[in-house]
Amino acid sequence: MNCLDFRRRLTAEPRSRDPGLLAHRDSCTAGCAAFWQRAQRFEDDFEAALAIPVPDGLADRILLAQATGERRRQVGMRRVSLAMAASLLIAFFGAGMLWRQMDARSLPALAVAHMPYEIDTLALTQPMTDAQVEAGFTGRAMHLKGPSPADVTYVHDCMVGTYPAVHAVTRMNDEPVVALYLPGKMSDRSEDFHRDGWDGRQIALSGGTLVVMAQGASRKTMDAVARGWRSAIEGGDGTTVGQI
Amino acid sequence: MPPVNKDVNPKQRQYEAMVRALSADLYRFAYWLSRSETVAQDLVQETFLRAWKNLDALRDAESARPWLFTILRREHARLFERKRFDTVELDETVAEDTAFASPERSGSDAQVRDAMLRLPDKYREPLAMQVIGGMSCDEIAAATDQQPGAVMTQLFRARQRLKDLLGGRAAAEGGRT
Repeated sequence: MNCLDFRRRLTAEPRSRDPGLLAHRDSCTAGCAAFWQRAQRFEDDFEAALAIPVPDGLADRILLAQATGERRRQVGMRRVSLAMAASLLIAFFGAGMLWRQMDARSLPALAVAHMPYEIDTLALTQPMTDAQVEAGFTGRAMHLKGPSPADVTYVHDCMVGTYPAVHAVTRMNDEPVVALYLPGKMSDRSEDFHRDGWDGRQIALSGGTLVVMAQGASRKTMDAVARGWRSAIEGGDGTTVGQI
Repeated sequence: MPPVNKDVNPKQRQYEAMVRALSADLYRFAYWLSRSETVAQDLVQETFLRAWKNLDALRDAESARPWLFTILRREHARLFERKRFDTVELDETVAEDTAFASPERSGSDAQVRDAMLRLPDKYREPLAMQVIGGMSCDEIAAATDQQPGAVMTQLFRARQRLKDLLGGRAAAEGGRT
């Protein structure tokens, strides 16, 4: 490093501790050490001049602004969280209400709700004649296409919810099994259900829906009753009825 | 008795330490950039608020100083873009009196400050970053998207110009190269 480089470099970076710079300072005999001294003095004065007074409480004001902003942000976030939680709760509540309403209107719910009005029919034991059974269906303007099931103890037209229905009871193996046929009420699938102590099955037929249910009856009995009513309503042997 | 800030989280503690340690130098840098005390205070506030939001990006405490100076410089540029200040001739620029209220040094300091205010932005900015921020040429180059050599040249010319403006004083001290 020559003197010109040294002085140029020192003018740009007076506080540099570059070894090459310091080595030239210590070895140069052309006044570079004095130049370095003057540069340091000038830099001291320059730094002092640039160190203008700082307004009182600047750091405190900065911290206060940050704390206030942070608090506001947290309050905002808390509000958003609360609003989201409330929305979620309302959504859950709404969905629950909707589900309850839909469930209350389902056929199994309506069928089970219908039973307290006709619970006494389960106690009947006297079998009806085929003509009496057939007569029970004429109230709904329909005729049985197959033979009446055996051991039918009750047949009457009634309302299940808002649906016109034929209510029948079959006593098989000393177990009363209820069959509700809702002509014109079409359903797209058959399904089993269990609610309020009743085991049952909703069966989609070609002209309506059959609901078979009992309290504590064996599956075998219920299957047989379902087959019997299906055969009577649709004709044929009713073998397509599934297992409960 | 337990310390008052025992429940303060580490991030908050780090931030507070940073504000206490660096706000004065940042304010001075902001002042020499903007030449206004009020703008400088606003700039420092904005810089620290932005720093708080991005504190996770700060890798180590030693990088805090150049990091904050870079943020402040950007904030200043953004402010300038937003406000579109009226441009004034450098010679007409008068520094605010209160900034120079240092009675024992008022004579020579006033001359140096006046000379500093007369420097063009392209010289004043790297010079303030170096002298107040203690930033190296490489750090200034990184902060201003320039080559280190270009920064070195600016710093050289900045001091040359400063000494020219100071005239006799610099000459008396042998500051001229």
